[in-house]
Amino acid sequence: MGALERLELGRYAGVVVALIVVAAALTITQSTFLTWDNMKNIIGANSVILILALGATFVVITAGIDLSTASLMTACSMMLAIAFKSGWGLVPAVLLALAFGAAGGFGNGFLIAKAKISFLAVTLGALSIWQSFALVVQEGQTVSVFSDKAFGPIHNLVTNSIGPIPLLLIFDIILLLLAGGLLRYTTFGRSLFAIGSNEEAARLSGINVSAILIGVYTIAGLAAGLACLVSVGRLTAGSPTPDPNLLLTVLAAVLIGGTSFSGGVGGVFGTVIGVIFLGVVQNGLTLSNVSSFWQGIVSGSILIIAVGLGVLRDRGWSLRRARGASAAVTEGPVR
Amino acid sequence: MVFPGVVALDNVDFSIGAGEVHALTGENGSGKSTLARVINGTVTPAAGTIYVDGEPTVIANPRQGLDLGIVNISQELTLAQTLSVGENIFLGRLPTNGGRINWAKLRRDSREVLERIGVEVSESAIVGGLNVELQQMVEICRAFSSDARLLILDEATSSLSEAATRRLLQLVAEQRAQGVAVLMISHRMPELYAAASIATVLRDGKLVGTAPLPETTEKKLVSMMVGRELEDYYNKRQVAQGDCVLEVDDLTSVDGVLRPTSLRVNRGEIVGVAGLVGSGKAELGLALGGAVACDGRVVVAGREVSLGDPRKAIAGGVGFVPDDRKRSALLPNRSVGENFSLAWVKRLSRRGLLNLRDERKKVSEAIRRYRVITASAASVITTLSGGNQQKVVLGRTFERDVDVLVLSEPTRGVDVGAKSEIYDLLQTAAEGGAGIVLISSELPELLGIADRIVVFYGGEIKAEFKGRDMQEEAIAHVAVTGSSDAPEQTPQKGT
Repeated sequence: MGALERLELGRYAGVVVALIVVAAALTITQSTFLTWDNMKNIIGANSVILILALGATFVVITAGIDLSTASLMTACSMMLAIAFKSGWGLVPAVLLALAFGAAGGFGNGFLIAKAKISFLAVTLGALSIWQSFALVVQEGQTVSVFSDKAFGPIHNLVTNSIGPIPLLLIFDIILLLLAGGLLRYTTFGRSLFAIGSNEEAARLSGINVSAILIGVYTIAGLAAGLACLVSVGRLTAGSPTPDPNLLLTVLAAVLIGGTSFSGGVGGVFGTVIGVIFLGVVQNGLTLSNVSSFWQGIVSGSILIIAVGLGVLRDRGWSLRRARGASAAVTEGPVR
Repeated sequence: MVFPGVVALDNVDFSIGAGEVHALTGENGSGKSTLARVINGTVTPAAGTIYVDGEPTVIANPRQGLDLGIVNISQELTLAQTLSVGENIFLGRLPTNGGRINWAKLRRDSREVLERIGVEVSESAIVGGLNVELQQMVEICRAFSSDARLLILDEATSSLSEAATRRLLQLVAEQRAQGVAVLMISHRMPELYAAASIATVLRDGKLVGTAPLPETTEKKLVSMMVGRELEDYYNKRQVAQGDCVLEVDDLTSVDGVLRPTSLRVNRGEIVGVAGLVGSGKAELGLALGGAVACDGRVVVAGREVSLGDPRKAIAGGVGFVPDDRKRSALLPNRSVGENFSLAWVKRLSRRGLLNLRDERKKVSEAIRRYRVITASAASVITTLSGGNQQKVVLGRTFERDVDVLVLSEPTRGVDVGAKSEIYDLLQTAAEGGAGIVLISSELPELLGIADRIVVFYGGEIKAEFKGRDMQEEAIAHVAVTGSSDAPEQTPQKGT
């Protein structure tokens, strides 16, 4: 449905335009901006954010939110690093990290869908639990894995390239296409939108709401497991203390990308735009030698402006709609 | 008062005197509540004047109404759910000591009010934790503890038990004796006859007439309420009935709103379900659709259907369309196409993968077949008129292979043209061999296309009408009184 795609694109068209403007301005003022090395920088610095944001998009589409994603990722990093340290092979260690993430997400989903505890309470609690867990396992110590043999391929994932294309970019694109395909071409994806748009209607139409919700949070947990591979690869270590801004950046990217917190609207391609936009702005500030202290002010303002514009557009849209509807009523039967 | 496209009240004259209990009655949507809301200042009339004590008065908002002594108790509760009973009773007029709330006095006063009215609840209980009846009683305490000169009871008894209703009627009598004017809005005949001395009947926003009580017979009053001519946009077709396709035995909702109910529906038959709001007819739909937990036995086309789960009801061949389109049927921010295919995703997919091409094809066929007026399949559903939204909701259910269709208020909020089309679609589904349960608050609609009508009152089926016996007055009588006895003798007027 070409028109349908346009509908979704409309939600982040403004951000695309802003991205082009910012990128153009940086290209003119900063000679280093539009270099391949700098692009690789941006990809490297934003891959963890992107992977978490893909998972978060699924959750937000169902009108939920997963506050635990960044701290679960940190816990997964510790598990992966400890596995390497204990001499596990690559495959078992990676499977452990992914399973750990998925299990954490499943736990969230189960409590939310079956025990009917508010998603805010569950994921806020999980945020705290995993944060603490990551510190507890090695008493707050960073676990370096640089010299472990099995770590090699993970390191290669974040440093190597095929020709000029970084492996990491390929990894990101594969995940993006998988996520996009899942949303668009499967009954699971369709059910997410239905639940986010109107849970009761979805239930009465025969959608297994609790199974889908458990699946969604499990996917978000799996995303945390996948993101930890990149994080450990880049740091060459499992660090028990994540970037404190990570969760906020992830959620901001999802919002800026046009996925609505009220549910039922959005998509992973918008999220990618949101991640790129925030990444480019941050990169631009760094290149322009603006103190990193300013970055929070800038990205916070961008978030409010982007979402504010979305609200304005939606409101204008619903005003038009209301006017149209009342006109239809006063005009009598519409044939 | 003119609402967009609908005249809710049209040139109605009405007056009430001190110490008078005046009944205001009429069918759903006749304008009763609107008149009450004009009087208490919630709604501003487009034309006309209100006289209070002979003086022309503008009542611009409910606050001014209260200042004039006009107190409205409506069926929709207006309590602060997280506050205590006492705080609710004195909301907006809490006793204070120089700006600080006098909690001791509040407790004392509310205990006194609760005792006087006879409500057994602690003044410190949180209102949200009380059942609907007690909440309604708290609302009544609030009204009866204020210095009302005109008390409006807008279907105030709809959630009350018989004992509480009797107590309320007693209080009304006390108020009348003290010179308070009471306006009672209700379509429950026994109450009106027990309390009121005069009745005003509205129909379609117009004044039908005023009748003294109890001199006017119940039969006469009901005919004043419903006496409209049926417009023939139903185009009832004769459909040959087949075998019994739906057997319902002792279906009971766990919350007790639906009492043991049994029903048979044949293939090709349209069974109308009538009853007032709260009579249990809506719960019958929810129970058959699997939306609420219930006990009993439902057999569709010879196979028993598990209850309490929409997925099982669907698998068992039941297509259910809920009454509240916005709350439980539409995906408001999704496209027309997705709203159609919501019910078909299983059939349009293999191993979890959707066939988008099939979906597009089916959706555009459905848009044509159900005559949905939309710019495209990708338009957001809420850009459509209510009637077209409803055609999507009905169409997606009809397109499923269903043996039984359970439709709750399928024409609510739908304009006349679309209504006629929906009746046509319904009969086409019956011709296709489905058994149809049509639950509706609009009697003319049931009379127009149902083959048989069952009437709910107090959670159960009280009467069944067929063929020639399907008379509006007789059905309305059962719906209002719960009894099918001929209403010849008039109930005794209470004190």
